[in-house]
Amino acid sequence: MNISLKNISFSYSDSLDDAILKNLNLEIRSGECVVLAGESGCGKTTISKLINGLIPHYHSGTMDGDVLLGGKNTSDMTLAEISRVVGSVFQNPRSQFFNIDTDCELAFGCENLGMDPEEIKQRVENVVQEFHLEHLLGRSIFNLSGGEKQKIACASVSATGPEIFVLDEPSANLDLKTIADLKEIVSRWKKAGKTVVIVEHRLYYLRDVADRICYVKDGQIAEEWMPAELEAKGPEYAASLGLRCMNLEMLNSVCHPGAEGDRIHYLSCSQLRRDYQPCDDIASEAKQSIIFSNLTFSYHRKHPILDIDHLELPCGQITALIGHNGAGKSTLAQVLCGLQGSWRQKRAARKRGTYLIMQDVNHQLFTESVLDEVLLGMKPQNEKLALEILDGLNLKQYANEHPMALSGGQKQRVAIASGISSGSEIVVFDEPTSGLDYRQMLAVSATLKKLATSGKTLLVITHDPEFILNSCQSVIRMERGKIVEQYPLLGNEKQLVKAMVK
Amino acid sequence: MTKQSRNLAFALDPRTKLLLAVVANGMVFTAPLFYSLLMVVVASILLLLEEKWKFVCAFFFVYLTAGFFFDFVKNLDIGTSGTIILASLFLMYRIMPACAVLYYVITTTKVNEFLACMSRMHVSNKVTIPLIVMIRFFPTVYDESRAIGNAMRMRGIRLFSLRTLKSPVAFLEYRLVPLLVSITKIGDELSIAAVTRGLSAETKRTCIATIVFPNL
Repeated sequence: MNISLKNISFSYSDSLDDAILKNLNLEIRSGECVVLAGESGCGKTTISKLINGLIPHYHSGTMDGDVLLGGKNTSDMTLAEISRVVGSVFQNPRSQFFNIDTDCELAFGCENLGMDPEEIKQRVENVVQEFHLEHLLGRSIFNLSGGEKQKIACASVSATGPEIFVLDEPSANLDLKTIADLKEIVSRWKKAGKTVVIVEHRLYYLRDVADRICYVKDGQIAEEWMPAELEAKGPEYAASLGLRCMNLEMLNSVCHPGAEGDRIHYLSCSQLRRDYQPCDDIASEAKQSIIFSNLTFSYHRKHPILDIDHLELPCGQITALIGHNGAGKSTLAQVLCGLQGSWRQKRAARKRGTYLIMQDVNHQLFTESVLDEVLLGMKPQNEKLALEILDGLNLKQYANEHPMALSGGQKQRVAIASGISSGSEIVVFDEPTSGLDYRQMLAVSATLKKLATSGKTLLVITHDPEFILNSCQSVIRMERGKIVEQYPLLGNEKQLVKAMVK
Repeated sequence: MTKQSRNLAFALDPRTKLLLAVVANGMVFTAPLFYSLLMVVVASILLLLEEKWKFVCAFFFVYLTAGFFFDFVKNLDIGTSGTIILASLFLMYRIMPACAVLYYVITTTKVNEFLACMSRMHVSNKVTIPLIVMIRFFPTVYDESRAIGNAMRMRGIRLFSLRTLKSPVAFLEYRLVPLLVSITKIGDELSIAAVTRGLSAETKRTCIATIVFPNL
């Protein structure tokens, strides 16, 4: 089924003056796989909402123009009718499930459409076979990993048999291995002749699947490429547009840019990069390291989730912690920060001062102003010092704002500020760059480098090879609760990319 | 949350569960203590059939200890503030049986069964959908709340500390503000996920779960 967006303008407010989409035209042929890329806030998610009917039926705003699905105007259809032809998968695996167990979830869409129970059972059986979900049947949604949830989401949407699939940053919370599974699912849909629209920052995994990459900027389709075309232009070009790279194997050159793009903001990004010490310089300075021992944790005695005798973190450096979902990375972070484990481990954590910046920073911002947030953990409270910390993170002008009113990146920096103020020498980050575009990723990277140069020791859980190559000095890889390798990044970039993709 | 495979040997009809919940709620304050005890026993048996040993043991322990405690203190003279604290504790004690029943109902009722039984009772979707969103929400709120508790501990804000004793309201605020922010967001995302998958007030749903009273 083909999709056509004709002269679309849309604004979330009452007038079209501050429209997020401006007179946008987009034709997607039946059976095509189109990727919408662009920086955050460029309007690509809004386009996906136009296609799955959330605009104009769920979100209010001002809209001009027509969205036609196979010739039918979405504004004349109800959401229930649209959901028969368009299946949607969203970014956050935590919040797209309505049921508490997998079987019901797979049948949910079909039940809503009022299909015959026998047919539903048949359809569920088919998708289970198609997506290899046998091991996930009968499980509670709350016990699944992010990747498993995303698979169930795709399968349950697929069960209703829509002609169009709309995916909104489906890979944001996945590791590289499950992203490969996701790619397989997308290519299966494509083979079945379905139309697929994907809004995504990570482009590399869609290299062989996508027919077209549309670059959205300022509410319009600014450029269009075939994947091979964009790849041929090189990673510098993609970076200059704020896009993630197309090919992980070419990443090495992004880390140490020789040739620079001509776009203004790419220059500002590399300026950002030069402001702080390049990774190699820091790595060469011989510094001592912090040693942890006896990092173990288990729910059942026979199945340890975490089993590490000895962990060494180089002081004043950024260390990446990689490994597949369920390898025990988060548990390690929690034990390090004293949130899990025996009272002895907790006491040790309190003594050395370890702070965790959570993936969802909303969880750790409590107070009414940014300044209060920093003062809260401080002993004794010292406003001058707090302002200094805020200044160091470019937050001084927001000192009196409510933390919840800030943008995602600013919130993250507030959380970092509160960690610094509580006197922690070690800061652990849980996926600080998931779902960020290239420029935002560089900004996070700059903040982290600055922290490291100021003497903090950083451990970053991440699935983002671009980020690691940009900011980290050493790498720890975990598997099944154990550390399998630890090496300095310099000279081992190939090994890293290989280990992450495998 | 729920067990991997449910023990289907004894599964109550969702409608029976609903009735049970209503009765339990109605009895909280009106019924004499004996019926409360009966309710506890019924809930425990049902929960044991679902193999929730831990919960039942913990519940029985707390409930009985509390019972003896109140029996012991009712004749003591403990002053006004003491009485207020005791009264509120007693309130919680009386609510406990109903909580056990609700826990049973919520953890064992599947969303689609509930939807089907409501439509069988000719309850409008406009009533059912908000209801199941609520049921679906409890575990999420719990998860979020735990994450926030973790973040608070890291900042040295604990329930049993001098700071909390000095300003309990601030403690509640720290706990509730981020919780509200995140569950509002999740609630919004959940309803988006539901409407894009065709859940609406107009269409009639089918259900793969069969709900009949087997013995009738």
